[in-house]
Amino acid sequence: MKRKKWLPYLFVAPYLLHLLVFVAFPVFFSLFLTFHKWNIISPVEYVGTSNYTRMFQDRMFWKAIWNTIQFLVIHIPLQLVISLALAEFLNQKIKLKGFYRAAFFLPVIVSGVVVTILWQQLLGFDTGLINRLLVMLGFGKVGWLINPDIAMGSIAVMATWKNVGLYVILFLVGLQTVPLTYYEAAEIEGASHWQKFRHITLPLINPTIFMVVILSTIGGFSLFIEPYIMTGGGPLNSTLSSVLYIYKQAFEYYHMGYSATLGFFFAFLILMVVVIQKKYIEKKD
Amino acid sequence: MAEVRLVNIGKTFEEGMQVVKNLNLTIQDKEFVVLVGPSGCGKTTILRMIAGLEDITTGELYIDQKKVNELDPSKRQIAMVFQNYALYPHMTAYQNMAFGLKIKKVPKAQIHEQVMRAAEILNIQDILQKKPGKMSGGQRQRIAIGRAIVRRPKVFLFDEPLSNLDAKLRGQMRIELAKLHKKLDATVVYVTHDQVEAMTLGDRVVVLNEGEIAQNASPMELYSNPGSKFVAEFIGSPKMNFIEGKILLLDGQLVFRNNELQFDLSSLNYQNLKNHIGQEVELGIRSEDIYPTASNLKNYVKVKGQIIAIELLGNEKLIYAELEESSLIAKVKAQHEAQIRSSIDFYLDLEKAYFFSKENGQRI
Ligand SMILES: Nc1ncnc2c1ncn2[C@@H]1O[C@H](COP(=O)(O)OP(=O)(O)OP(=O)(O)O)[C@@H](O)[C@H]1O
Ligand SMILES: [Mg+2]
Repeated sequence: MKRKKWLPYLFVAPYLLHLLVFVAFPVFFSLFLTFHKWNIISPVEYVGTSNYTRMFQDRMFWKAIWNTIQFLVIHIPLQLVISLALAEFLNQKIKLKGFYRAAFFLPVIVSGVVVTILWQQLLGFDTGLINRLLVMLGFGKVGWLINPDIAMGSIAVMATWKNVGLYVILFLVGLQTVPLTYYEAAEIEGASHWQKFRHITLPLINPTIFMVVILSTIGGFSLFIEPYIMTGGGPLNSTLSSVLYIYKQAFEYYHMGYSATLGFFFAFLILMVVVIQKKYIEKKD
Repeated sequence: MAEVRLVNIGKTFEEGMQVVKNLNLTIQDKEFVVLVGPSGCGKTTILRMIAGLEDITTGELYIDQKKVNELDPSKRQIAMVFQNYALYPHMTAYQNMAFGLKIKKVPKAQIHEQVMRAAEILNIQDILQKKPGKMSGGQRQRIAIGRAIVRRPKVFLFDEPLSNLDAKLRGQMRIELAKLHKKLDATVVYVTHDQVEAMTLGDRVVVLNEGEIAQNASPMELYSNPGSKFVAEFIGSPKMNFIEGKILLLDGQLVFRNNELQFDLSSLNYQNLKNHIGQEVELGIRSEDIYPTASNLKNYVKVKGQIIAIELLGNEKLIYAELEESSLIAKVKAQHEAQIRSSIDFYLDLEKAYFFSKENGQRI
């Protein structure tokens, strides 16, 4: 018996190793970096809290945060409404249910890069499919990705499209936990479709709604691939997301310490937002 | 007036399974009718068709002389109490009861009045602010009934409302439901698979078997005059005893005979048996018509049995005995001395015996 004392440790070792190398070490190392200046090549140099003071004066960073918030304001409600509506639709007695479910889920498993390149083809100004269609129908071209007022919206729509399948599945699971007799009881009482949805479905799938909001918030905050590939943050930095900016600080300008500082602050911001959401959305019994 | 009339009602599900067959049934205004039958005989399906939750495949349904086959459930002026109550878990008892009126935009004051009236009838004023998750089964049951009352329906539909309660509470709720029916003065269609419930609650009991009416009569009539072996066996506890045999004409005498007993039938008032000479039949006799002595019995037959179990019920006891080819349960006075594994003589009161055709189970 005694000899086997090490066995449990062996079982947790792989995870522990992963945790150390990919979570604990980066966290502590980047915390260390926030007080230093480092461009990867030269030695690390202590700079006190100057990274933090710089951050609060960095207009571009605040713009990036503001851009991200704009993205979220479009993305989260859109994601919520569309995936819930689709789930509700797929929860009815319809033909080809399996096909639709698979179709909606497909973009989720396709690589983000592929999806982004695909949408670039759709949204391009001169050769994009959508604009060509608009022209054919007699409308003018729209600068989906080159108009600073529209670009972030286009990206939000695209990100929603990409993830909708995942949230549809989550909502479907939620919807199926609501017993049919509740709806029947309501039907006898004369509730309309909308009333049943409003008074029975919505309150009873609150846990799912909460989960979807949290997941799409966290996912939305980490917006990166789409602007990185499609717009590079432009036009006029209108699609520069926080993560893209943090990435650029690190790997374009080699401001490792500063980038780490921004990263830390940004993580803190996400945490705050989620805590607030938890307070206002989640209903406890 | 709220009469419910089912005319040639049939139900076939998509898979082609015919669950209800050609049902004809009229439920009078203010009548308490119980649909009873074994699991899967189509009770719930019938109730759901009346409610409008299930399409009617064939036949016509009338409520108040009006054909309602295609009418929306909410317009049929019915209320249904579901087996699992179907109370909305996120609403308080009050909100549950008020829901139907609220979505109809009834003024708040009127809603309050109606909910409080129902609460008073059911004596549930003190739990109105509780949510279903925090209630006992009996309380939930009351709220579900309260929700039905608030709507002031013409017809109440109950689907096994007591089956989730423990035995004691079930007995109590049974009495309350009977009282409630008197108070509300409404038509009630009540589904159960429990024959005791059916017998105590129903003005009339409809026994169903595989989607068809086996018998439709008052509880007393069902008990004392069952139309078939199915009904005789289903109604009454303990179950009726059955002994197989043959009707024969021996030397001009009509007799019942099997390998262990033979007795004369000619002195009995079973005219119809003459038409079944040579046929296999089953003699049915209830436990309380089996006696350990022959005293006071005019027409009886004696059988010999071996006691295999005794169940004391209080002032009575059930004796389970095995005959040569069949078995019997007799209900005797508790004082009666009987030993397990000893042999016993039973006297069957033939005046109370029933005969059923072995072929189709019909009463002879
Ligand atoms: N939606 C449905 N689709 C197909 N078959 C069904 C459906 N609902 C019920 N059935 C079948 O119809 C038959 C009658 O069902 P029903 O629920 O009416 O029985 P019941 O008498 O209420 O039984 P229980 O006492 O178990 O509640 C059963 O064989 C059942 O499998
Ligand atoms: Mg049922």
